[in-house]
Amino acid sequence: MRATYIRWVLVIAACAVVVALLWPSEAGSPDEKAALEEGRVIITYWDRHTGHEFDERKALIDEFNAVQDEVYVRALPVGFTMEKLLTSIAGRTPPDILSTEGSILTALAPQHCVMPLDGFIKESESINPDDFFPHMWRAVTFNGHTWGIPITTDSICLLWNKRAFRKAGLDPERPPRTMAELIEYASKLTVRDAAGLKQIGFLPWLPWDHTHMWGSLFGGKWFDDASGRFVCGEDTNIIAMFKWMQSFSIDPNAEKQLPYALNPEMVAAFRTGFGAYMSANNPFYSGKVAMTQEGEWQASFIPRYAPELDWGVAPLPQPEGAPPRSYSPTCVLDMIPAGAPHPEAAWKYIEWFNSPRPGGRPSPASDYNRAISNIPCRRSEATHERFMGDPVFSVFVKEVLTKETPVIPVTPVAQYFVDEVERERELVVLREKTPEQAARDTENNCNAELDRILAIMKRDQS
Amino acid sequence: MTRMERRNLRNGILFALPYLIGGSIFMVYPLVMSVYYSLCHYNIITPPTLAGLANYRALFFRDEVFWKSVYNTLYFTAFSVPLSLILAVGLAVLLNQAVKGQSVFRTVFFLPTIVPIVASAVLWLWVLNPESGLINGMLREFFNVEGPGWIADIRWSKPSLILMSLWSVGGPMVIFLAGLADVPAVLYEAADIDGAGPWQKFRNVTLPMLTPTILFNLVMGLIGAFQYFTQVYVMTAGKGTPADSTMFYALYLYRNSFVYLKMGYASAMALLLFLVILAATVGVLISSKRWVHYHGE
Amino acid sequence: MVYAVLLVLSAVFISPFLWMLSTSLKHESRIFPKPGEPPQWIPTTARVDAEGRPLVVYQGKTGVDMGRDKLGRHMLQLGDEQVTAWAEDFAVQQRAGLHWQNYADAFHRMAFWRNLRNTLFVCVTVVLGTLVSCSLVAYSFARIPWRGREIVFVLVLATMMLPYQVTLIPLFAMYRQLGWVGTFKPLVIPAFFGTPFYIFLLRQFFLGVPQDLSASARIDGCSEFGIYLFIILPLSKPALATTALFTFLFQWADFLNPLVYLQDDRQYTLAIALQQFQSQHENAWGPLMAMSSVITIPIIILFFLTQRTFIQGITLTGLKG
Repeated sequence: MRATYIRWVLVIAACAVVVALLWPSEAGSPDEKAALEEGRVIITYWDRHTGHEFDERKALIDEFNAVQDEVYVRALPVGFTMEKLLTSIAGRTPPDILSTEGSILTALAPQHCVMPLDGFIKESESINPDDFFPHMWRAVTFNGHTWGIPITTDSICLLWNKRAFRKAGLDPERPPRTMAELIEYASKLTVRDAAGLKQIGFLPWLPWDHTHMWGSLFGGKWFDDASGRFVCGEDTNIIAMFKWMQSFSIDPNAEKQLPYALNPEMVAAFRTGFGAYMSANNPFYSGKVAMTQEGEWQASFIPRYAPELDWGVAPLPQPEGAPPRSYSPTCVLDMIPAGAPHPEAAWKYIEWFNSPRPGGRPSPASDYNRAISNIPCRRSEATHERFMGDPVFSVFVKEVLTKETPVIPVTPVAQYFVDEVERERELVVLREKTPEQAARDTENNCNAELDRILAIMKRDQS
Repeated sequence: MTRMERRNLRNGILFALPYLIGGSIFMVYPLVMSVYYSLCHYNIITPPTLAGLANYRALFFRDEVFWKSVYNTLYFTAFSVPLSLILAVGLAVLLNQAVKGQSVFRTVFFLPTIVPIVASAVLWLWVLNPESGLINGMLREFFNVEGPGWIADIRWSKPSLILMSLWSVGGPMVIFLAGLADVPAVLYEAADIDGAGPWQKFRNVTLPMLTPTILFNLVMGLIGAFQYFTQVYVMTAGKGTPADSTMFYALYLYRNSFVYLKMGYASAMALLLFLVILAATVGVLISSKRWVHYHGE
Repeated sequence: MVYAVLLVLSAVFISPFLWMLSTSLKHESRIFPKPGEPPQWIPTTARVDAEGRPLVVYQGKTGVDMGRDKLGRHMLQLGDEQVTAWAEDFAVQQRAGLHWQNYADAFHRMAFWRNLRNTLFVCVTVVLGTLVSCSLVAYSFARIPWRGREIVFVLVLATMMLPYQVTLIPLFAMYRQLGWVGTFKPLVIPAFFGTPFYIFLLRQFFLGVPQDLSASARIDGCSEFGIYLFIILPLSKPALATTALFTFLFQWADFLNPLVYLQDDRQYTLAIALQQFQSQHENAWGPLMAMSSVITIPIIILFFLTQRTFIQGITLTGLKG
């Protein structure tokens, strides 16, 4: 008996020692502790980006911590899982600053989750709403308030593989400029051999769904800002766009197939292939797709992943008569959640980040954009040499500088809309729905969802 | 109650106290809150507002995707649970024989449970890639056959996931191995004397002796299959593509709760799931009286 | 015959794992096969000449890659001939070689030792808490005959049936009230109250120990706790080892709970840190696989070593109802 007692005591003691040895670090780095001693205000910053993008942000935050002594920012990468953000909001422990995308903002702001920044902006000398691209400012300003400061934006253009052009007998320096040319080139660039499909000319839904974009490029109107409703149901341009999408898949009833039409399942396979996008196996890099639609970050991706690729960039073609438009899906922005413990300190950081540095040097936001190859949201910054100087990158920038740029509808059901439109497109391509049906269903389903959300919000406010 | 019974009752509750307390706090409390939320409109951010049975009505009568998710989950459960049970039993029987390198084999089959999800998903996306993936590559090279679109193909997406789920058969397998080791050798000897062949031995000795283990793995398998989420979330980036063919119940629940911010709606779904799993488990347990043989003490 | 089947199945089961190891040792450019190329199992690296220029094979002739011209074509020196060619049209000679740089990069990118310590802290304390609490509760359900025991047991099982999506928010709100958010407490303390899965498992095992042992101990005047401590537990080492192993495994890989409750990346665990290799537009595949391998290998060794006890343990569990 005694022996067993002693053994148990020893076991417990050993466990205690092990646990003590493994005792984890506390929250708060030595720098932060020092800042606390100095009497600085400690604020938390959460970034939905991880990896390279977060590292760049962190470097700039370290700079901020070093150049002033009132505020200390603790930066945390939290990733794209919604659970962390939502639990902290529901549990009333939000961060002071959150860096996220536009579609998240439009979902959270109407639910009183975000602090309006109008007061801060009015008093600020360096943040001028007019300097921002109108489409970016509109993405963060709705329901009468401005909810965030946009930091990065994108623009989508047509990329083509010059070697593939040469092989098909096309001039490698001349991209298609009209829809007719796009289809003609796609036909010539769709190569099949005895084994099957070897090269895809063009597909509107590679590398991911762009249905929203093409609807706009066709001159269609998905959403009416004034009334806040979806209006695409009978829009002839939207329907034309769906029809055009459908033409890219084989029509089982047609006698003769369009030369650029493909078997949709084969095509669906490209999308989800391993390493389909973020690597050297990207179908565009590896020559399986001759023309594609991509964003400006490719200017730094391609030299990295596919240095041998010979490629060109040009604006996306649009149908005749459509208003000249470019496209920017959304933006990355900084916002202050409602209930943040230190909003003034948070604003100090945001203002610093978006203002030119002393001596006329570019702002940290501009540095950040350069580091991750995105386009700044301010005209004054986007026209800077560091972005316009590169012949490839400048094509992307010119698009947003010179054309009207729709973004994803600024509505609480933005995420739902994006999913819904993709679903409709899939069904149209698989020929399980007509283009007219798809347009109508998009409008009806999204409006129904919108009504539901609005009813709930109204109920909560009363 | 006799004094003995009272004493036992007191001791029983005393020993079970940790979970009685813990379960109430960490499980019963959220369960009660879920029931409450399911009767509310709750978007996580603002406090919930009562809505009666509105969520349930919407689920049953106005939500196509809900029914799709039910179908997908039942489809998956109907195939993956029996298949993985059969495969686990088969592997366990094979590995129970004194084969050289037993330990190595057992480790190999248990590996998938240990590999991080992010790595497994990425590996599987490659294995199933119709263009350059392992399976189709081998089909092409050895059989000159063009494989299907796997995860990207509406007809093959669920079978792909079922195939993936079979990969984690190591856990149940190990439990079966233990069950097999428990079968008294005497019974096999008796069967030998009766002149039974391997299949008869399996059917008349092994299988009945294995029924308690089968029950355990069946219950665990059902609970797991009904709540199947993580793998499909990682493989389809949480979307259930293509065209909702892989929108499973728990995935749809997740989307409703954390993506669409319809927590009340998601809670209603959770409650229904809870009731279904409970009913299925109780059903299996009751039926077990008929087919499970507990070998005597 | 049996052996052949096992070998084939093993190949199937192990191939993705081997591929993870193989990828972790490849340079980024070799990770994904070029179209039409079969996937490469053995990591290789380019053969180079004395000046570090890749050795190539073009249309059956060997030579050296001298660099690229303005159009991006490679200039190949094949003996006396000089030829220009695109990358797809020639092959770089390979030799077996391991790109250990991925591992260096992986360790460089994350605070590995700190994350490891945090992870170990959580795993070890959760294992200890689970062993203590689950054995106590299982004892109640297996060794003490009390009224209502079976019903309560079914209720315990029922608590396994609620998905995390709906328990997360109420729990988080509760922890916040307690002031536990931002600490390790929500990750560690619940384990000390018990987990249904292991309560079930240990109950099965405890039921397999002959009731006579308890009966005679009681007659001898031993307390219930004494029977638990001195008779049942020592006889249950295999089952306890099993519980410990499974608990450790699942806690090691848990990503969501640490992410939700921790507020400083100095506290992050390995599972969260693995996320650092993935960003919105790029994935560092090489280092990601390297770190995944590193994280996996200790567990494999652990499993291998405890296998004996492990299988023996579930054996004695007997699962006798």
